[in-house]
Amino acid sequence: MIGALLELDRVSMTYTRGGLLSRTRVEAVIDVSFRLEAAKPEIFSIIGESGSGKSTLARIVLALQAPTQGAVRFKGKDLAQMRGDVERHAFMAAVQPVFQNPFEVFNPLKRLDRYLYATCKRFAGAQGETAVQAAADTALRQVGLSLAEVRGRYPHELSGGQLQRVAIARALASGPSLLIADEPVSMVDASLRASIVNLFRKLRDELGLSIVYITHDLATAYSISDRIIIMQKGRVVESGAARTVLANPQHPYSKTLKDAVLEPLAPGARPLFAR
Amino acid sequence: MSAAMQNFAARPEAAEGPVVAVRDLRAWYRLRLFGVDREVKAVDGITFEVRRDEIYGLAGESSSGKSTLVKTIAGAIKPPLEIVDGEIKFSFMPGTKGLSRAPPEIAARVRWRHLSYVMQGSMSVLNPVRRVGASFVDFAARHMGLDKAGFEAAVIAHLARVNLPGSVLMAYPHELSGGMRQRVAIALATICRPDFVIADEPTTALDVVVQKDVLGMFRSIQREMGSSVLFVTHDMGVHAHLTDRLGIMYAGRLVEEARTPDLFARPRHPYTRHLIHSLPSIGDDKPRIGLEGSPPSLASPPSGCRFHPRCAFAAERCRVEVPPMESVGPDHRVACFEKDRVEVTP
Ligand SMILES: Nc1ncnc2c1ncn2[C@@H]1O[C@H](COP(=O)(O)OP(=O)(O)OP(=O)(O)O)[C@@H](O)[C@H]1O
Ligand SMILES: Nc1ncnc2c1ncn2[C@@H]1O[C@H](COP(=O)(O)OP(=O)(O)OP(=O)(O)O)[C@@H](O)[C@H]1O
Ligand code: SF4
Ligand SMILES: [Mg+2]
Ligand SMILES: [Mg+2]
Repeated sequence: MIGALLELDRVSMTYTRGGLLSRTRVEAVIDVSFRLEAAKPEIFSIIGESGSGKSTLARIVLALQAPTQGAVRFKGKDLAQMRGDVERHAFMAAVQPVFQNPFEVFNPLKRLDRYLYATCKRFAGAQGETAVQAAADTALRQVGLSLAEVRGRYPHELSGGQLQRVAIARALASGPSLLIADEPVSMVDASLRASIVNLFRKLRDELGLSIVYITHDLATAYSISDRIIIMQKGRVVESGAARTVLANPQHPYSKTLKDAVLEPLAPGARPLFAR
Repeated sequence: MSAAMQNFAARPEAAEGPVVAVRDLRAWYRLRLFGVDREVKAVDGITFEVRRDEIYGLAGESSSGKSTLVKTIAGAIKPPLEIVDGEIKFSFMPGTKGLSRAPPEIAARVRWRHLSYVMQGSMSVLNPVRRVGASFVDFAARHMGLDKAGFEAAVIAHLARVNLPGSVLMAYPHELSGGMRQRVAIALATICRPDFVIADEPTTALDVVVQKDVLGMFRSIQREMGSSVLFVTHDMGVHAHLTDRLGIMYAGRLVEEARTPDLFARPRHPYTRHLIHSLPSIGDDKPRIGLEGSPPSLASPPSGCRFHPRCAFAAERCRVEVPPMESVGPDHRVACFEKDRVEVTP
């Protein structure tokens, strides 16, 4: 299996929920396999039903939890075999998360530049004030910001979209080869959404980064992804080239999903939920 | 029950005006950082009302103050947020000025029964150490006057309307997905059928199929009760299909308001036009461009019209004078000096 950046091999995750008397088993992820090639950076989107196991998959790929069955390999190495701090550290630098709500990620009382400095020191091996600042500036420039704009500022002093870009810059500071972005744009308006997904495209094309993009927004998934999988009740029900799948979905659930997108109305048309 | 509370119930005329009337509201975050004072003017002079029997939508740029506005109306104010000026009047609390200034026992009675509030990011409001079912008992049981079995049946039926199985009642919040928690929060806020529901980005974590059911549920309980909903979302597709009237915010102010179809058909404010024209859709390969220029700072907002640094229509006057909100048709108000030119520009 030479050449896989990330490989999921028949991954399943079963949770048990409830107390001693009323245990229920939840099959959150059932038999999911896919692989991203190291030589071919891509944006790989996961869309699907709420509760279908997307965030569970994200946590498994980030090694925050282990699957109950199957294997995940990053650059050929099984995550379950990861031993010791050095290996973990290298993995964490290479596979970085971006979460939904940037306001929750940053402590409101902590200056944003501090976060970047800490990541640059810890993961990028930057030593000394000048080197750390230079590394932070490089990461910020990759997202269209600069250290001059961010230095000394607190989270509330930036807009949601700017803050999400700082979060992405922080993820980039460790020099990752894979980003796991779990609903990174659902909190922002259409205009910022466009600027963030355009940034993802640029990271793929210019830095050769692969991105797993989890979203409920079919329009951005269509516009930026190379491949897509559609999940329902823990299973992948359809997969393929993003444009082919979204332009002409085959599985009944994929069709239902596409049909449910609310498009703005043609003049005079009746709203779906009119009074 | 306090005497004041009995009064509310006994005054039917109170139910006739708007459910909430907001006048000249200013709500700022006042921060003191390293000895420097800083004011974030997130809500800066807003006047509007939500009528009985309508869904009023609120849209606008990220950080334009939508959440701050609805938080202030819902009385969920805590430092550094302060009401600096203005008035909030509820139909169900005549004679008092807003929830945050009402006596605590009145505020407590009003919450859930008359007014409920689904916060943005409400995935995290549930008590993490209590099962979901216990939260329903805590918030809703005493307002519903049902026995235990009747209450449970009512809760399960209500959960089904947001596509959740009754088994979620046994789960702890962390055992649910983001979208499942968001639906639990919506179900909690709507089960008592309050007069006024405030929902801030309540469907952002949902897939579009479930979102449709949830929006349908908002409309049907609104219709059943003739009640009112204040619905915040940046998703213009949702506004088009759900809301009756729509207000657009930019940099702490309301810049336009109209009946939703009119706003889409004839936007008069340049920012509204931008919002409507930047709607993405599947199958559309045109790259989407964000708005030119950077978002305004609410600590030192641009002079005059706050949109002027990014506005293609800006004239000299826009830099110095604040455009007043003016009526341009039935239920249509806009704050722009160039509104006539905007209307005729293709
Ligand atoms: N820690 C946990 N314990 C028990 N069950 C869990 C746990 N985490 C998730 N689940 C269950 O696993 C299923 C999948 O959840 P997951 O968060 O992966 O869904 P998702 O696809 O990300 O949904 P959403 O779109 O709503 O975010 C759900 O049924 C959820 O209740
Ligand atoms: N606790 C706080 N302290 C200081 N400033 C804050 C606080 N909460 C919000 N702000 C600031 O107030 C402004 C308005 O924020 P608000 O959350 O009301 O915007 P919004 O329109 O709801 O944005 P979004 O669409 O991203 O949810 C922003 O500049 C934000 O940074
Ligand atoms: S008042 Fe002037 S700057 Fe403001 S929106 Fe209208 S034209 Fe643009
Ligand atoms: Mg999720
Ligand atoms: Mg908000």
